Amino acid sequence: MSHALFSEAPMTGGRPDAPPLLYGVDLHKAFGPSRALDGASLHIRAGEVVALMGPSGSGKSTLMHCMAGIVRPDSGRIVYRNDDLTTMSDADRSALRRTEFGFIFQFGQLVPELSCLENVALALRLGGARQRAAEAKAAEWLETLEVADVAAKRPGEISGGQGQRVAVARALAADPSVIFADEPTGALDSLNGEKVMDLLTASARRMGTAVLLVTHDARVAAYSDREVVVRDGRTREGEPS
Amino acid sequence: MTAVGVGLGVMMLLVAASMPTMLHARGERTAARDYGSAEMSRPSDRSLLIGVQDTDFYGKSIRGRVLRPEGPRAPLPPGVAAFPNPGEMVVSPALADLLSSREDALLRPRLGYRVVGRIGHAGLGGAQEYAYYAGSDRLTLRSGLVVRVTSFGSRSPGQSLGPVLVLLVVIAFVVLLLPVAVFIGTAMRFGGESSDHRLAALRLMGADQRMARRFAAAEALLASVFGLLVGALMFLVVRVFVEQVTVFGVGFFTSDVRPALQPAVLIALAVPVSSVLVTLFSLRKVMIEPLGVVRSATRTRRRLWWRPIVPFIGLALLYPLLRGVQRLGSFNEYQVAVGVALLLIGIATLLPWIVEAVVGRLGSGGGLSWHLAVRRLQLDGGTSVRAVSGIVVAVAGAIALQTMFTGVRGDYVQETGQNTSRAQAQVTFRGAVDGTRAAGAAARLGSAPGVRGALAKATTSVLLPGAKKDDSWVTLTVADCPALREVIRIGRCADGDVFIAGLGRRAPRPGETVRVDADEDTGGGRGPSWRIPKSARPAGQRTNPLGQTEEGVFATPSAVDPRILRTAHVTMLVRVNTADGDAVERMRNAVAALDPMADVMMLTGTQEDNGFGAVRRGLFIGAIAALLVIGAVLLVTVLEQMKQRRRLLAMLVAFGTRRSVLNRSVLWQTTVPMVLGLLLAVPAGTGIGALLLKMSEKPVSINWAAVTGICGAAAGVVLLVTAFSLPTVRRLMDPEGLRTE
Repeated sequence: MSHALFSEAPMTGGRPDAPPLLYGVDLHKAFGPSRALDGASLHIRAGEVVALMGPSGSGKSTLMHCMAGIVRPDSGRIVYRNDDLTTMSDADRSALRRTEFGFIFQFGQLVPELSCLENVALALRLGGARQRAAEAKAAEWLETLEVADVAAKRPGEISGGQGQRVAVARALAADPSVIFADEPTGALDSLNGEKVMDLLTASARRMGTAVLLVTHDARVAAYSDREVVVRDGRTREGEPS
Repeated sequence: MTAVGVGLGVMMLLVAASMPTMLHARGERTAARDYGSAEMSRPSDRSLLIGVQDTDFYGKSIRGRVLRPEGPRAPLPPGVAAFPNPGEMVVSPALADLLSSREDALLRPRLGYRVVGRIGHAGLGGAQEYAYYAGSDRLTLRSGLVVRVTSFGSRSPGQSLGPVLVLLVVIAFVVLLLPVAVFIGTAMRFGGESSDHRLAALRLMGADQRMARRFAAAEALLASVFGLLVGALMFLVVRVFVEQVTVFGVGFFTSDVRPALQPAVLIALAVPVSSVLVTLFSLRKVMIEPLGVVRSATRTRRRLWWRPIVPFIGLALLYPLLRGVQRLGSFNEYQVAVGVALLLIGIATLLPWIVEAVVGRLGSGGGLSWHLAVRRLQLDGGTSVRAVSGIVVAVAGAIALQTMFTGVRGDYVQETGQNTSRAQAQVTFRGAVDGTRAAGAAARLGSAPGVRGALAKATTSVLLPGAKKDDSWVTLTVADCPALREVIRIGRCADGDVFIAGLGRRAPRPGETVRVDADEDTGGGRGPSWRIPKSARPAGQRTNPLGQTEEGVFATPSAVDPRILRTAHVTMLVRVNTADGDAVERMRNAVAALDPMADVMMLTGTQEDNGFGAVRRGLFIGAIAALLVIGAVLLVTVLEQMKQRRRLLAMLVAFGTRRSVLNRSVLWQTTVPMVLGLLLAVPAGTGIGALLLKMSEKPVSINWAAVTGICGAAAGVVLLVTAFSLPTVRRLMDPEGLRTE
């Protein structure tokens, strides 16, 4: 696969000559009269950490949701390992998200009625793992993310930083190829934010997992290999961090 | 949204509060058109002959009266402006519509009068009543059928229901109105999310927790007052349509629908007060913070100690009545209503504790949907329990009522013993067709379209020789051999034969002379005498198609003097072609051609007391309304619950969670409390039913088939609601919901 968009060598992380794992070209998306995306393009290689930056309302979250197959763009193409997401059925996109992608949101979005261990195991169970095996692997991930002590607690009983680390563990547990993180430290203080970013990027790099990071915080973007700026629904490569 | 929900509930309560007024107004009108049976026997310038000419048309009862004024001051029936001339009639609006529709082809032959006017409201029970007054110049007195009157209006009190039926009515009202109260309570919690935003904004502006709660209470109060207004408006709209509705022949006019004062005041006060209480109660575990409302995520164990107090008070209220309402004669309806209501509400107070105790022990093994549902119920079963508590309370109430109905049914519903395979109708002629014309009339009726056969018999009373006492009268039945075979056991039979069946020692001997009775229809006075032929033979008795055994003297037509036949009443047993849907109407037309005032009685296996039937029908209508209300409550609660978890659901779908898993999880969250609720409702409902039977002094018997049916209907409502909610739930699960992050 070749495209003019990928002629530039990537920055750090991921092999510069590697083909993009996931790319979107000339994406348009409107919500009523408001144009969220207006010709945005983006690619990400395996193991690469890419930060999507931009002011509020610029379309960065919409771009991430399109790339993740959550939202279908009005026009343009999104390709993951040769599969065009824009032509996939809803069920196929769901299966893709279940098996290949991981997600982290601003407020963790842990399921409140499940314990932290069960929240992490949920990602594995969705992929078909049995409960006991899923919980064993989830416990390892909580250990890795240094939150093993909250395994039995519910999200309402732990701090925001702990909750976000549980969310990272959940995103990584199913060995995804790409993690989509939408303002993962937006609700945390700087110390907890740094801790979460350290653990997320270190684990992702160790596993060769690509991370698409939506943030408007330069300190968070500094963890990325490459920055893409979104403004008025269009993308532009930013300066290397 | 709260105002609309509360308004809907208020409207239903106002309709319920109008029921006594509606029934009273209807009763007043029907009493005003009643008349005495034999006020005077001599015609005068104030007298009117009025004859009954009722009929049925495909199950619709048509009230028909024939009028013949005997003087210029004859009384007009209520709602009639002027007497119709002979061959003319005034009709109710509903009958006018029926006659002008295409359906009237089989009715017109019976109502061969020209329509010259309408009956006003004052002369009708309800707007959809079928009624007419026809004019005649040939009407004459006929016993029990045509009477002479000088005024209309009955002062006699209406038929009293009796303590047991009053008890049933009170319980039915409680059972049917509790779901409405639950609905109003649920409606008060509509729009919780936007309310949270407003409360958070208030906190941001400097309001403390207490101020914010007071604001929430004031907001609820305003919404409920607005809901009252909306409810009153809805009620005004609904009452306009009441004239279009008739249930089991009972209809009303818009002007009848006026809520009674006391219940109306109670509704106006109770709704705002309860709205404030519900709001404050729902905020008790909530922290209103400047950045949003935080609902407690930690589990607080529900306490059991206070929960049985509610049903215990209910039981204490009912205890004095366990001696039996019939023995007590009358009872305090409010005491029963509150007692039963508290027993039923006790189920709603016990259910959350039971659900918590049971789901706390449930394992999370099994499928993912089960896992998610169990954990959700363990964290916050309250929402799901609230969703099903209305239906559980209604099920318990319905089981209690059904148990009571089963227990007292024997007193009000009787097997008639009528055999509908031998005959489908009995036609009674009073005067217009006498015994001499019976055979010809039977032949004409038997050859009418839709009729397979008609057997006529003429009956009169004869006085045994030398007897003076009343028990010396015996029945003389004159009929041909096939007709006699339907009522007595005879061997060979030919015209001229006479039989004697039953009577024992009173049986006349062959050769004796008897004197025939003659009533006023046939001129009054003593009738001709007749010598029972010496050839008269004894015959066995058999049950006739009406389920009765007949006794007396049975003669074939040639054996009696035609003068005797002229004094006899004629009845016919009619068999119709049951495969022909119009056969009964054709048969009625053929009967009307012989005598428009003949009474046609369709045979039926069971006969129900009017009061009991009215209560049963009322309950049936109420139960349907209650089920609809309950379904609406459940639907709204499920959707509200899903809306509150919209982002979480969107996130789970974004993860790739199958929608079917989430749908099943939602279903489990409703099904588990529902099943537990039904397990509580069945013993509670049968227990309350047993109490009510004890109060009615009846032995306890439970109709398990009906209990199963009620539980099945409740489960059906849950399934139906789930099916209805799925499209919205699917929309709420759309991962695009994340966009609002």
